[in-house]
Amino acid sequence: MAKKNAAVLTGSARRSWKTELKRDWVVYMLFVPIIVYEIIFHFLPMFGIVMAFQDYNVADGYFGSPWVGLKHFATLFGGEDFPQAIRNTVAIGLLKATIGFIAPIIFALMLSLIENKKFKRFCQTLSYMPNFVAAVIVCSLFTQFLAKDGPLTMLLTNIFGLTNQNWFANDQIPVFWLIYLFMGIWQSIGWGSIMYVAAISQISGDLHEAAAIDGATRMQRMFKITLPNILPMIMMMFVINIGTAFVAGYDNILLLYMPSTYSVSDTVFTYTYRQAFGGGSSNYSLSAASGLFQSVVGTVLLLLSNALSRKTGSSLF
Amino acid sequence: MAKNRKKEEWENNMVETKTTADIIVNIIVYVLVALVALCSVIPMWHVLMSSFSDGKTLLAHKGLVFWPVGQANAEGYRLIFRNNSILQGYFNTIVYTISFTFFGFMLSAVTGYALSRDTKLKKPMTMALMLTMLFSGGMVPGYMVLRSLGMVGTIWALVLPGCTNSMFCIMMMNAFNAIPKEMYEASHIDGAGHLTTLFEITLPQAMNMGSVIILNLVISQWNSWMQASIYVPNKKALWPLQLVIRQLTSENANFLNSSNPDYSRYLIQFAVIIAAIAPIIIMFPFFQDKMEKGMIQGGVKG
Repeated sequence: MAKKNAAVLTGSARRSWKTELKRDWVVYMLFVPIIVYEIIFHFLPMFGIVMAFQDYNVADGYFGSPWVGLKHFATLFGGEDFPQAIRNTVAIGLLKATIGFIAPIIFALMLSLIENKKFKRFCQTLSYMPNFVAAVIVCSLFTQFLAKDGPLTMLLTNIFGLTNQNWFANDQIPVFWLIYLFMGIWQSIGWGSIMYVAAISQISGDLHEAAAIDGATRMQRMFKITLPNILPMIMMMFVINIGTAFVAGYDNILLLYMPSTYSVSDTVFTYTYRQAFGGGSSNYSLSAASGLFQSVVGTVLLLLSNALSRKTGSSLF
Repeated sequence: MAKNRKKEEWENNMVETKTTADIIVNIIVYVLVALVALCSVIPMWHVLMSSFSDGKTLLAHKGLVFWPVGQANAEGYRLIFRNNSILQGYFNTIVYTISFTFFGFMLSAVTGYALSRDTKLKKPMTMALMLTMLFSGGMVPGYMVLRSLGMVGTIWALVLPGCTNSMFCIMMMNAFNAIPKEMYEASHIDGAGHLTTLFEITLPQAMNMGSVIILNLVISQWNSWMQASIYVPNKKALWPLQLVIRQLTSENANFLNSSNPDYSRYLIQFAVIIAAIAPIIIMFPFFQDKMEKGMIQGGVKG
């Protein structure tokens, strides 16, 4: 049995540490930078989470600050602001994971129906642009466009008869959520469609040919051939989306919201940021507690989505 | 690839009988796709044209600006060169982008190479990298570590955190793994050490993936603002361009409501946005293909 195991082991696993270090010490040295980097920027902060259970103050550090147990979590969930932030995060996350997720797929399918290759390529290139424009600029553009008398506001007023107002100051329920959703779609519809366009171009032409000979129209072929063929890709992307839905993509809100609309625009991410770096007095421990909650939910979602993707046969790791 | 060519040939040669419904669907699809493309550029066009407009007329103008309103001029751009904080911000952004990209790329390449070799650290390091993808300490604990290292308020807090990540390291590892084994053996036999093999022999061959990572690093640092708002909020001399723009536009929002606004300040906001976007838009046609390929490869790998 032992002999069999030894035969299975190959390369580095078979050699002892001593011979390994002697033989490949240069490669081991190459690991040093990333180990230092990971420790400083990833692993030390993980231990730093203990501050969520302390009344942390900078002068006393981790070892001198008093332990307070779950006090900060009690503050978070006992107050009004944090549950509201959770609700907004869930609402925006759900909108993004559904409507925001489908938009690039529809765009890719529409592109696949276009026969003129030059026109298709041109439109695709233009649609990539917003993805590369800085968040600060995108947000300032949207603020201008949706301000009172702004171009988009005028459009909404003239076509749909909505009141001429500063839409970002509106704290009615779906307004901010929809604006943020629309902004996300505007930024990512072109770039997000790349994967699907690539997957569609991989579909064998024979399938389409056979179907066309049998009299299937373009639309029928799209629903019966193209869509089923890219379904695995759609499933995979959906799972990734769900996994990061709670954590990623809320930073632009910092550039858009204002105190009078916190009730609809505050999210767990922005709450975490504001408690520590939002100006005024910093409550580092409260921020760390809120950040820990966000991380834990994010990890759970990622693990769940990975388990889900194993079932569908395309696991992430 | 052969299949693709066949598909294209077939699409070109086939005479398809189109029903009226097909034609209507076609028209709708063309219009919708064109609309998406148009919507993607209109805001930028609006800013570009506004930047050449006359400040006073522009402020009174409502709706989109398709062509410079008032007397067309380049006053906004002239003002940029007289504004020290914008010039300083532009300079800072360039310095940050270069250093961030340099550190990030070197770290990813070196780590990727080390991971691609057969060592005892390969498995534990991959696990550690996966772990950092799964869970993060969060904003404040990270801030506290940098603070205790004395990095807060310095350039290091802006160019080191986030310069590489597990994805980049693993992408580089795959690139090194894809190079034929014989290449490594040959360079070993010729007496090249690991460093020579890495930098002179294999890295040039892994640059397809490498350039994708470089582009990602350049764009993310060029556009970043939050890191600076956390680590150098009070040191204006260290602000990157994006933070300067943020302050300029948010100040202007209040400022323009005053009874006697300064129109040139309104203009400068458009000019500086163009100045910030221009390098990326100009570079875009050159890197588009590479970014697309990288995106597809990265996605296929998961």
